[in-house]
Amino acid sequence: MKETSRLGLLLLLAPILLWLACLVILPHIDMLIISLRTRVAARVYEPSFNNYIEFFTEPLYWNTFARTAIMSVTATMMTLMIAFPVSFYIAKMLRGRIKNFLFMLCLIPFWVSELVRTFGWMILLRETGVVSNALQWLGLVDGPVEMLYNDAAIMVGLVYTSMLFMVVPLVTVLDSLDDSLIEAGYDLGGNGFTVTREIVIPHAMPGIASGCVVVFMLTLGNYLTPTLLGGKESLWFTEQIYNQFITRFNWELGSAFGFLLLVLSSVIVWLGLRLSGQTLSQAIR
Amino acid sequence: MSVEVHSPDIDLECSGLVKRFGDFVAVDDVSFSIPTGAFFSILGPSGCGKTTLLRMIAGFQSPDAGDILIKGNSIVGMPPNRRPVNMIFQHLALFPMMSVAENIAYGLKRRRTSKDKIAEKVAEVLERVALPDTGDKRINQLSGGQMQRIAIARCLVLDPALLLLDEPLGALDLKLREQMKVELKQLQSEIGTTFVYITHDQSEALVMSDHVAVMNEGRFEQVGTPQELYYDPKTRFVAEFVGDSNVWFGRVEAADNHRLKVTTEDGLPFLAVAAEGQSMRAGERAEIFVRPESIQLSHGADRMEGFDNNMTGQVDSLLFNGANSAVLVRDQQTGGKILVALPQTGEFANLLKGQDLHLAWNAEQAKCFPAPAEAKTSGTTS
Repeated sequence: MKETSRLGLLLLLAPILLWLACLVILPHIDMLIISLRTRVAARVYEPSFNNYIEFFTEPLYWNTFARTAIMSVTATMMTLMIAFPVSFYIAKMLRGRIKNFLFMLCLIPFWVSELVRTFGWMILLRETGVVSNALQWLGLVDGPVEMLYNDAAIMVGLVYTSMLFMVVPLVTVLDSLDDSLIEAGYDLGGNGFTVTREIVIPHAMPGIASGCVVVFMLTLGNYLTPTLLGGKESLWFTEQIYNQFITRFNWELGSAFGFLLLVLSSVIVWLGLRLSGQTLSQAIR
Repeated sequence: MSVEVHSPDIDLECSGLVKRFGDFVAVDDVSFSIPTGAFFSILGPSGCGKTTLLRMIAGFQSPDAGDILIKGNSIVGMPPNRRPVNMIFQHLALFPMMSVAENIAYGLKRRRTSKDKIAEKVAEVLERVALPDTGDKRINQLSGGQMQRIAIARCLVLDPALLLLDEPLGALDLKLREQMKVELKQLQSEIGTTFVYITHDQSEALVMSDHVAVMNEGRFEQVGTPQELYYDPKTRFVAEFVGDSNVWFGRVEAADNHRLKVTTEDGLPFLAVAAEGQSMRAGERAEIFVRPESIQLSHGADRMEGFDNNMTGQVDSLLFNGANSAVLVRDQQTGGKILVALPQTGEFANLLKGQDLHLAWNAEQAKCFPAPAEAKTSGTTS
């Protein structure tokens, strides 16, 4: 009896274990090995830390790395700032059908591929785009305005792409907040600000943490949005990885970058959870 | 409502309060005043508008018409956080993200009380609700009764002019509820804060309150002391809702001032009185209420002479419940069942099913109200 139940458990877990092993663990082990060697001649490799040393000695790589981290943290914070009131409105102010309808509205953009959505932003923001033409037609500007290929455009794209992944956990966690706690907060003398700070945010903390973790990881690893909206100068770290692997055929350096990105995201997520007093198991609940 | 001079000892005064939700009138022209230090209950079935009324006083809903005065000052339009009123919510609404002490300190912090003063007041109020060592505990470490007291402490520490309680005992089990009833009443008389308590549980209202308002369909049916409501109900709703009653429907045969001669639908002749404030004429349909404890029981007919109404019947079933035991008697003439409270003398301790019994009560104990249009069958209500 015990034998069969153990076998059953193993069979149930088999797909996920296979998936993790083949698609996550194996490639990372391989990447780690590749990143720790250097090419001395054609098809001749030697173990060394050269790739990592190169990363720390070349300012471009180092700067891109820091810039990606800072931009991702900023995008995550901005997504949180925008998503929190939206989620509060959906979860607490609305009832019944309109609530489900608005929740659905957040989901609808995700029926279209990310590529098409990003092109949507390009159509709006480019020099001959909708916004530029509208401004000219209104007489607010004299000539065409280029709004693509800068940090603001990247930020807009990143926040837009991440919105759903912040709204869903926030709505879920705010839904579970008893209305009478908010009312009690006011009844005992609190105003909108103090009730939000003392009651709503502490209650929503697990949702905030899980939303931020997901959004941060998605943003940090995003390739399409920074490349398309930021252009050649976007300096996103995933682009560097892409360049090393595809353009320069330098798999050794590319693997080292990939590993560094993994370490970076782990460290920042750990820091964020420590600062907000959450644990990972709480955040992903 | 006439214009009154606001005497200083009226804590809360509501006049002509109306609240509508679409076509539904939740609170319909309600006026009342509560003297300082009173324990005032609003008793009514669910959906009668009592919660809406309380939420208007707390400030979570604004009335469509009428005025609310606290110590003579109108608070209509004032946001809830500015009102000198605090509320105990149905599920208490203690903040689970804070400790017990932080919960109590929450309101004081909003008033920018100094840290030392807060610590002092928190300790003081915890002492007062007899939970002096619980300050560092989390809310989920408390028992139901302790949470109840912390919720009260959290409001009392702010010295409100009025404490509103929204059925806070509903979630407790029976034993604890009985205990908390007594505790709440004692606490209220010790601290002297005016309590407004809403409930659908008549025993909570009757046990704790100085005054009770019975509410139905958005209106106050009657306001009075628990004794007045129980012994002199002014409307048939109050007679039906407060306490148990045997109910018969019938027709008034003859009326002599308040004394009535009534024949029930089953053909039983009763002598009864019109309830206070009701005038009944011959020919009118009537509903007759007789309390189970006002019916005399006897094994023999000899002791039942001199009563206005006499009946014989057999024991149908015994409803033993300690001091509240009762017996259901099947009336010999009609087969209808009558609920009679068992006297605590032990005389009827050995009643058996099928035993013959004599019942009797006086006309004063049978109160008549004009019957509503829709016909109902006779029986007991609780």
